[in-house]
Amino acid sequence: MKKFLALLFVLTLCTSAFCADGEKLTSPAQLKTERLAAQRGTVGQYIAEDLLGDKKATLLTTYEKYVDAIAALRQGKIRAVIMDEMPAKRFVSEVEGLAIMDEALSEENYAIGFRKGNTELVEAVNKALAELKSDGTMAAIFAKYLDGDYSAVKPEDIDLNKGASGGKLYVGTEAGFAPYELRVGSGFIGIDIEMCAAIAKKLGRELVIENMNFDALPMAVSTNKVDMICAGITVTDERKENMDFSENYVVGAKQVAVVRADDYER
Amino acid sequence: MTTRDRHSGAGRGDILLGLVGAFLLYELWASGFFTAAAWADFNRRFYQNFVKDDRYMMLVDGLKSTIFMTSGATVIGLIVGLILSVIRVAHKGGVHIPVLNKLAETYITVLRGTPAMVQLLIWNFTIFASARDLNTQYIAILAFGLNSGAYVAEIFRGGIESIDPGQMEAARSLGLTYGSSMSHVILPQALRNVVPMLFNEFIALLKETSIAGYIGIDDLTRAGQNIQALTLEHSQPLVMVAIIYLVIVLCLTHLVRKLEEWLSRGRRG
Repeated sequence: MKKFLALLFVLTLCTSAFCADGEKLTSPAQLKTERLAAQRGTVGQYIAEDLLGDKKATLLTTYEKYVDAIAALRQGKIRAVIMDEMPAKRFVSEVEGLAIMDEALSEENYAIGFRKGNTELVEAVNKALAELKSDGTMAAIFAKYLDGDYSAVKPEDIDLNKGASGGKLYVGTEAGFAPYELRVGSGFIGIDIEMCAAIAKKLGRELVIENMNFDALPMAVSTNKVDMICAGITVTDERKENMDFSENYVVGAKQVAVVRADDYER
Repeated sequence: MTTRDRHSGAGRGDILLGLVGAFLLYELWASGFFTAAAWADFNRRFYQNFVKDDRYMMLVDGLKSTIFMTSGATVIGLIVGLILSVIRVAHKGGVHIPVLNKLAETYITVLRGTPAMVQLLIWNFTIFASARDLNTQYIAILAFGLNSGAYVAEIFRGGIESIDPGQMEAARSLGLTYGSSMSHVILPQALRNVVPMLFNEFIALLKETSIAGYIGIDDLTRAGQNIQALTLEHSQPLVMVAIIYLVIVLCLTHLVRKLEEWLSRGRRG
């Protein structure tokens, strides 16, 4: 028993051992030779790969969930997490000791992804998106979330258009990406969720959310498991080869580096 | 009470106590030092992770899903495993079913030779790609059940082969057919031998369902991750999930021991 506890204690110490680096980070250019992390399959991963070049095999760690990447950052296993600015801001405000580097790494556009060749649905969704933009619905949805406090938003308040005559609209997402999508209790909230609910209403269909891992989303939409995927997905040329995209619904979303506050000098 | 019993009884309690203690110690250590402020922080985070907005219900729902999948897969695994093992043993015992035997052999090789995770993805995204109205949990039950069946088949086969061939010879010489010798004489004895191993297989299955999150099922593990995404807190939800799994596994292990004792009581010699 004593041995067991002692062993646990030693293990905990070892795994959480903090190796402090001498020099502090000042600009993203320094990240080229540092241990980085990103969520698997995200643009953050591609940016980190570009930054690291040949060294990506040894220096880049990809995680299934952002929470894991942030935990690794706090434990000193990595030096920066490359991710989208909006969720990064939430981490920095909720978790102590984190900072976002001032200089953004790139700017991205978000769009909804479809199976290659599903032109009919792409056009219908684009039409709905245009309407939602012009009648102010999109602006209202963004306004609801962008002030950072959306604890009052309840999943049951989002109208999924249950029992709609046009059948179901299956949407794949990864609900760990606030403020775009987040699982609350047994439902979902977020900008993407509300936008998809509004689109489903325009199409006269019932919205069904399928929550899966981010790197499983392209597979899900290409095998027709879901009709479309909406998870703050960045439009890239490579993705365009395998997937069709709607018009952008977010333009200029920044990719940033999240670092430890005590490891960063502005 | 034998020495082994006394030892294992104490061991269980110790390990449980030790883990709960280690959880508390680790949480305290991780949040700084053993101070009042640290306690308050622990409590605040505990409240945020499990109490606020009834978030523990996410874990309860996840646990329900985990148990549902494990039970369903257990039933499928038992049926598939029994059929496969009987085919293989019968073939070896002289019944002429080469095609069936080859099929069973291939099934076992393929399902034991590929990771359960890959099988789950193939079931969900390839075989059942168009079955969108079907509850994903049923797909998972099928995937885990068929996977488990391959392992159960080998357990059963081992059990059947552990029965003295003289039993079969005696039954056949009394005029029983191969089928009824198998179902009335061999299988009842074999089953008794393999019960502990079967239980271990199902305990392994319970833990294996933790990969179901990959195809969008909010099982116990995924529920912990959902809480993490909600509170951005890393350790507590995961450690809580681990404790829940552990408690279930310890209960099941206890059950197996009792069952083992009960089974061996009726045995001569």
